[in-house]
Amino acid sequence: MSALELRGVSKMYGEGANEVHALRGVDLSVDAGALVAVMGPSGSGKSTLLTIAGSLEVPTRGEVLIDGVTVSAMSRNDRARLRRRSIGYVFQDFNLLAGLSAVENVSLPMELDGIGVRKARLAGMQALEELGLSDRASSFPDELSGGERQRVAIARAVVGDRHLLLADEPSGALDSVNAESVIRLIRAACQRGVAGVVVTHDAQLASWADRVVFLRDGRVVDQTMPPAGPESLLAPEAQS
Amino acid sequence: MSLALEERPADVEATGSGGGPARRAIFRWSWRLFRREWRQQVLVLALVLFSVAATTVGVALAYNAGHSEDSTFGTANSMMSFSRDVRANVAAAQRAFGTVDEIDHQSVPIPGSLNSLDLRAQDPNGKFGHPMLRLGTGRFPAGAGEVALTAGAAATFNLHIGDPFVANGRTRHVVGIVENGVRLSDEFALVAPGQADPPTDVTILFNATNAQLDSFRPSGGATSIGTRGSISKTAAAIVVLALETIGLLFVGLVAAAGFAVMAQRRLRALGMLGALGATDRHVRLAMVANGLVVGVAGSTIGVVVGLLTWIALAPRFETLVGHRIDRIHLQWWAIVTSMVLALVTSVVAAWWPARSAARASIVAALSGRPSPPKPAHRFAGVGGLLLAVGVACLAFANRDTPNASLVIAGTVATTFGMLFVGPVFIRGLAAIGRRAPIAMRLALRDLARYQARSAAALGAISLALAIAATIAISAAAAAIPSAEANLASNQAMVYLGFGSGGAPGDGPGVIPARTVAEMQSLQPHVDALAAALNAQAVLPLTEAVDPASPTIAPGGGVAYMTATLGRVKTVTHRGQQGIDISGAIPLYVATPALLTYYGISPNAINSNTDMITGRSDVAGFEVLAPRGPTPCDSSQPKCRVNGVKPTPGPVGRKGPDTWHPTIQTVKLPRYTSAPDTLLTPHALEAFGLESASAGWFMQTRSPLNPTRINSAQRTAAAAGLIIETRKTRTSNARLRDGATAVGLLVALGVLAMTVGLIRSETANDLRTLTAAGATSTTRRTITGSTAGALAFLGALLGTGGAYLALVAWHRGDLHPLTQVPYLDLVIIVVGLPLLAITAGWLLAGREPVSIAHQPLE
Repeated sequence: MSALELRGVSKMYGEGANEVHALRGVDLSVDAGALVAVMGPSGSGKSTLLTIAGSLEVPTRGEVLIDGVTVSAMSRNDRARLRRRSIGYVFQDFNLLAGLSAVENVSLPMELDGIGVRKARLAGMQALEELGLSDRASSFPDELSGGERQRVAIARAVVGDRHLLLADEPSGALDSVNAESVIRLIRAACQRGVAGVVVTHDAQLASWADRVVFLRDGRVVDQTMPPAGPESLLAPEAQS
Repeated sequence: MSLALEERPADVEATGSGGGPARRAIFRWSWRLFRREWRQQVLVLALVLFSVAATTVGVALAYNAGHSEDSTFGTANSMMSFSRDVRANVAAAQRAFGTVDEIDHQSVPIPGSLNSLDLRAQDPNGKFGHPMLRLGTGRFPAGAGEVALTAGAAATFNLHIGDPFVANGRTRHVVGIVENGVRLSDEFALVAPGQADPPTDVTILFNATNAQLDSFRPSGGATSIGTRGSISKTAAAIVVLALETIGLLFVGLVAAAGFAVMAQRRLRALGMLGALGATDRHVRLAMVANGLVVGVAGSTIGVVVGLLTWIALAPRFETLVGHRIDRIHLQWWAIVTSMVLALVTSVVAAWWPARSAARASIVAALSGRPSPPKPAHRFAGVGGLLLAVGVACLAFANRDTPNASLVIAGTVATTFGMLFVGPVFIRGLAAIGRRAPIAMRLALRDLARYQARSAAALGAISLALAIAATIAISAAAAAIPSAEANLASNQAMVYLGFGSGGAPGDGPGVIPARTVAEMQSLQPHVDALAAALNAQAVLPLTEAVDPASPTIAPGGGVAYMTATLGRVKTVTHRGQQGIDISGAIPLYVATPALLTYYGISPNAINSNTDMITGRSDVAGFEVLAPRGPTPCDSSQPKCRVNGVKPTPGPVGRKGPDTWHPTIQTVKLPRYTSAPDTLLTPHALEAFGLESASAGWFMQTRSPLNPTRINSAQRTAAAAGLIIETRKTRTSNARLRDGATAVGLLVALGVLAMTVGLIRSETANDLRTLTAAGATSTTRRTITGSTAGALAFLGALLGTGGAYLALVAWHRGDLHPLTQVPYLDLVIIVVGLPLLAITAGWLLAGREPVSIAHQPLE
């Protein structure tokens, strides 16, 4: 059973003369532990694919299955619960909530799911620790660097029992060193069983994926397997 | 990498709402954001605070303001006064009602004044009357030679404790300063019980049932009977709370605009919250919690500020309301209700934009795109319906005896109707501005694009201006253009005698009978008086009397009651018949000197005219002829006065007691005390009256100053005359202008906030414009146009709504509305938009700091 499966997904915006086809019959399957990169030019439907996969939007046609369950049949509250428990997002703009510290940001999805603040905080601390940010746990977003913020966002995306990690240009606002660090963390999460989908323009980052899907005008035009062993930009000590 | 948790709460699994931990997390976030961004909410916070503080003071004031009925009844439920057979009547009342508290009155003339002082014999420890006496300094009088004065009376007579006080031929020594704690304006001299003997008037306080009161008939009749009303102080508090509700409606609109902007600013964060798995309820809670925090903070601080203000101002309020005030004796339920109302207003104001934010698509929210505005015609339909209902309610509310429910329903429906039609006006203006220059077009279009907050702002501005316009129009309608004062500032009336206990003109007057020789001896004093005033014209005045019906002057001696003009109505109270005279106007005789002064030719007066007047409000009035105690011969079988056979005495001359005069209206200046209503010689002859000297009318070239008035008063007092000059009268022009000014200030405050907020929302457009080469003039024009458009629409809606409501209210007689406060309306409709445009132009124009995209953090 795939962690994520899109079957003939189409998405249209507007009506009549203003109708825009963002996706046209897209099929995609991502297994647990796999990392898929989605590439394509601007307006090709990459971000729409990600938002539909993450239940933020409902497809006009087709089906989305997460862990074998059809998302379109769910109520708004059920989809919200699915996002809390199974799906993690990482955005280009980090999208950490101002007013909450790093650990509070990370533990927020769990608290929203009804888990007590102490347990959620503990899980958040563990996630930050694994990403090397335990010393910045009580810092607020505006006190963190760009790389640190994105790592906090990744920690928030994987905390709890998440099966699916969706990242939209996760390195778009970062320098190359931080960008590779971020993709490494995503890769590491996938190696531990999380299914990952990363939208990116960067072929270097896409080379970390198990599979690259190319979109053009809302259609999947190609799928490739990148050569193994991407060239690292990190210094040897950073890789360790 | 995933960090699985072993347990999840079963109830959470069932509902998917996250329960308490989720709510706590959301509330924590909201609280943190409030702490970070409280400056952006300071206006809303201040408005909530001010509303609650004002209501707290208002409730306290309303509770303590009204003249308590304790000032009339003490602790009793009934009172009665009589001036005849007082001893027998008091004894009868004691038999009928049990314990009665007796208060004897004697009148003591104040030299040189129209007024007299009440010499009062009352027991300070009386069962019912004790709240009406409060000792300041010294002690209460105990013996025959002792008296206590109120501070005002002591000042009038220039007396201190220990000084002798001479009243009605008896000398008493002042032993204390007292006051009526439930009516501070009550000036009197207090003597021990039984020491105001013989009393001219006796008041008794007692507890009685209606049946007991109805069956009691005092000998000679009662001069007044009263029972404690059922008007509750709770009603006053409810009125204050109703006013607060209207105020909070305004606060709610401003708050809604503020929270709408807050929701827009937080839209991406709210979208992120949704992406993390927050339900719609969580997203709403994030905004509502903010409203709750603002409401709790505003109402709590508001109550504290209100109470401190009340305690600090209570002494001044005591002077204002005329009685002592217990600082902590308040209606706490009303204060708590005002807090709850403020809290609810704040939460509801936050809930509306929260609802929109929760309904927005997460993807749209993440990209910061606001929801498209709802079609304005939906609001217009609801608004039109509400306006129609409101106008109908006000039209049928019956202005003479208002139906409170219809008035409240009409006011609320009209107000909400006005608010709901706002979006149509915004859309309309944007449509009209399609061909305007780019900057103006952009400003008007942005108002329509950001309809949620611009409509709320327009509502708040309209409401503020509608209240101001309603006060201004109503004040103008209520203003009586004529009879602006008792006299012009350069006029004086000099009287020979007293009115019946009040000022001249207050009912049938009494003038002392003077011989020709006495009048001649007064002439040097009158000349001195005219010199003191520097009078240009001195006109002798005569009034109509029946010389065969003399009476006793208040100070002793022969006097005549004078003819007056008034509205006469037969009344029955508790089975006793009598007449009620209202609007009594003094009548002077149309002497050749007066007619010459007014420029009226005797030939211009019709031969059958009884009365000439400049007044237009005397239709239906009757002349009350002073026939003395017996207008008929008591020996005749049919002679009756009020249905009772009179005691033998002098018989009045020919003519009726009252009659409807033939009136001829002429152009005369309108002052309440000036001789502007004149009986013709024809009337004197026809109704058996004669003219008797009443005083003099004097006029100077320039307005009289206090020095001249004081000098004249001393001269008058020395001659036994009384002088009246212009009394200062509060004009409602100040109220009108004050309301307009407050309305403008409030509207400008709302404009300052909302225009700033709307322009900050379009900061990206501004950056783009700047990048495209727009100068500061463009930016200034955009801001000025936004402010001017909102101000203009608010002024139109507010003034229009006010007139609509007032026309419905006055539908039976629209004449008062012809008094238009032009200046105030021009200031509102033209001045405010111009001021807003100017302020917007001057304060805008700063170049945007950067054109970079702002991240969520």
